[in-house]
Amino acid sequence: MKLIDVVRRAGRSLRQAKVRTLLTSLAIGVGAFTITLSLAGGQGGRDYANAIVSANTDRREIAVSKPIQTNASNGVKEYDPSGSSAPAAQSFGDNLNEKDIEKLRTFNHVESVTPGYSPTVNYITTNGQKKYVVQSVSSYTDAVKLSFAAGDAKNLGDNGIILNEEYVKALGFGDAKSAIGKTVAIGATRQASLATGAPEDKEFSYVVKAVTSESGLAFRAQGSLLVSEPAVKTLYDFVSQGTPAYNQFFIASVMLTDQQYAKEAKAEIEKAGYTAQTAEDLLGVVNTFINVLLGVLLGFGALAVLTSVFGIVNTQYISVLERTQQIGLMKALGMRRRDVGRLFIFEAGWIGFIGGAIGSGLAILAGTIANPIISKQLDLNGIHLLIFDPFQVAGVIVMLVIIAILAGVFPSRKASKLDPIEALRTE
Amino acid sequence: MIEVIDVTKTYGKKDQTFTALKNITFTIPDGASVAIVGKSGSGKSTLMHAMSGLDRPQEGQVVIDGEDILKLNAKKVDEFRARKIGFIFQSFFVQANESVSDNVSLPLEIAGVARSERKQKIAAALSSVDLTEKVANKAKNLSGGQKQRLAVARAIVNEPQIIFADEPTGNLDSVTGQKVEDMLFSYNKEKGVTLVIVTHDADLAEKCDIQINVIDGEIASINKKGSN
Ligand SMILES: Nc1ncnc2c1ncn2[C@@H]1O[C@H](COP(=O)(O)OP(=O)(O)OP(=O)(O)O)[C@@H](O)[C@H]1O
Ligand SMILES: [Mg+2]
Repeated sequence: MKLIDVVRRAGRSLRQAKVRTLLTSLAIGVGAFTITLSLAGGQGGRDYANAIVSANTDRREIAVSKPIQTNASNGVKEYDPSGSSAPAAQSFGDNLNEKDIEKLRTFNHVESVTPGYSPTVNYITTNGQKKYVVQSVSSYTDAVKLSFAAGDAKNLGDNGIILNEEYVKALGFGDAKSAIGKTVAIGATRQASLATGAPEDKEFSYVVKAVTSESGLAFRAQGSLLVSEPAVKTLYDFVSQGTPAYNQFFIASVMLTDQQYAKEAKAEIEKAGYTAQTAEDLLGVVNTFINVLLGVLLGFGALAVLTSVFGIVNTQYISVLERTQQIGLMKALGMRRRDVGRLFIFEAGWIGFIGGAIGSGLAILAGTIANPIISKQLDLNGIHLLIFDPFQVAGVIVMLVIIAILAGVFPSRKASKLDPIEALRTE
Repeated sequence: MIEVIDVTKTYGKKDQTFTALKNITFTIPDGASVAIVGKSGSGKSTLMHAMSGLDRPQEGQVVIDGEDILKLNAKKVDEFRARKIGFIFQSFFVQANESVSDNVSLPLEIAGVARSERKQKIAAALSSVDLTEKVANKAKNLSGGQKQRLAVARAIVNEPQIIFADEPTGNLDSVTGQKVEDMLFSYNKEKGVTLVIVTHDADLAEKCDIQINVIDGEIASINKKGSN
């Protein structure tokens, strides 16, 4: 018997028992639905994490800090009345100082090292406007992929500033475009004036070069005012010079000449006693989390599939018993054992295919409907969290067909072993 | 030619054995019509099964076209039945949920006949049993007589060399039974197909060239037409 005829007969038998076929398929469909959605979520989650990481960091960039000193490693110390054992000002971990920065610059493949300046400033204002609180001022780096509502960061210079849209509104510029070229002032306070030892106020003025638009991805720079590295250093020097925290950096950004050295450089930096984190590390942490979540969801899907396996075995087994006479006839007419077995195997395979197709189809439908809703709820600016990879969906269906076929092996063996004479005797 | 030589069939094991066929020997020439007659339980169906390669008796030979089919392996026996044998069973055994044409198609598919050839063969078989207009109907919607005619169409569609019919008219009224009988005999005459009919209908047996009388698994007599 030709294979195609066996497949066709299998399909026809299923059609003759439509309701039963559909119900059996639905069980496997639940598994297909769960698995397809989980995979789409995993894919979407990984893509999203990847997008966030690459929007906020450069793969050439390594974040370096001093390891955090835990009490466990220090142990409990005896009190020393001379005061030498008193806790330092920054009791958790050491900060990076000038020497560390210089040392980092000497490592292989290092292009530049930028200490994490984060000067505390008081307000931002412009002519004839009120003063507004500033969350933070940081240095602009092209490692962060900003999207601009107006202008760009190309000619930032030493007196340029990048605002975000909220400040544009607050400062009364109307829209982003009209803010470009305007002058703003940032007010800062020096805690201990070198001359008098008393606090000293000063305003620094900048020209608006660009306005960032809100992005679902670039968190690192959002809410922060961005100026050039020398400009932020000037601010930092003004605010911190003379305080104990001066030139003590919690973190420094090491930029490599090429991302291919990231692993190598990280190892070298860590060997020198620093903590180093690459963009890959960050992504790795996020992806591990996503994978664990994905694993749990896939587990539920697998459980549903396992349950449906018993459904298929049961349905097919009953089908064999019901069709004893038909099987007997086919064998009497010379159908080979192998072909009789295949007939039932293909029926099981069809059930798997129908279930897989229905489940995956519904999952894609649900995902397509849910994507914009999720995106809106989580404020992702149109980013889709469920991504259906056609190969993955096809893979799920193929896998379920194979599982269904395996489930059909036992009933099909029963069918192929039937004695035609016995089978024809049953009326 | 079918040569049955010294065939013995026993059922059961050890002390529970029952001998359904005892040292059966006879010969059927090609193109003959044969009636196997006997009381219920005498072993007619068992004999038919042994002759057609459905069953394997413990002893003896069944030589068809010079080949002992009892010595063939399972695959070869299946192939032999698919290519050379047509079966008609007492209780129709048509597939109720399938269409008339799908029912007739089954032996062709099993024998591996190409799809393109099937259509024409199915049409020819259905027309010779007068069921042409029922081709697209579901088999369950046919009357009893139509079902048995469908079974005849299925038996002849692949142009077998031998047709085995186990009580082909047993479930039919006399008029319908007559019609099916006529079909089988005319097919036997026209195509020269060997026809083996198991029956306990004396009238039907009369019409056959050879009558083999079975009593308790043994051959009581063999009558040839015009020689008794
Ligand atoms: N599988 C089996 N196991 C044991 N005995 C069997 C088996 N099959 C048939 N028999 C016995 O073999 C004998 C012959 O059976 P068979 O079916 O050939 O009778 P038959 O002549 O066709 O009868 P009928 O006219 O009623 O169809 C019977 O006594 C039956 O009980
Ligand atoms: Mg019988």
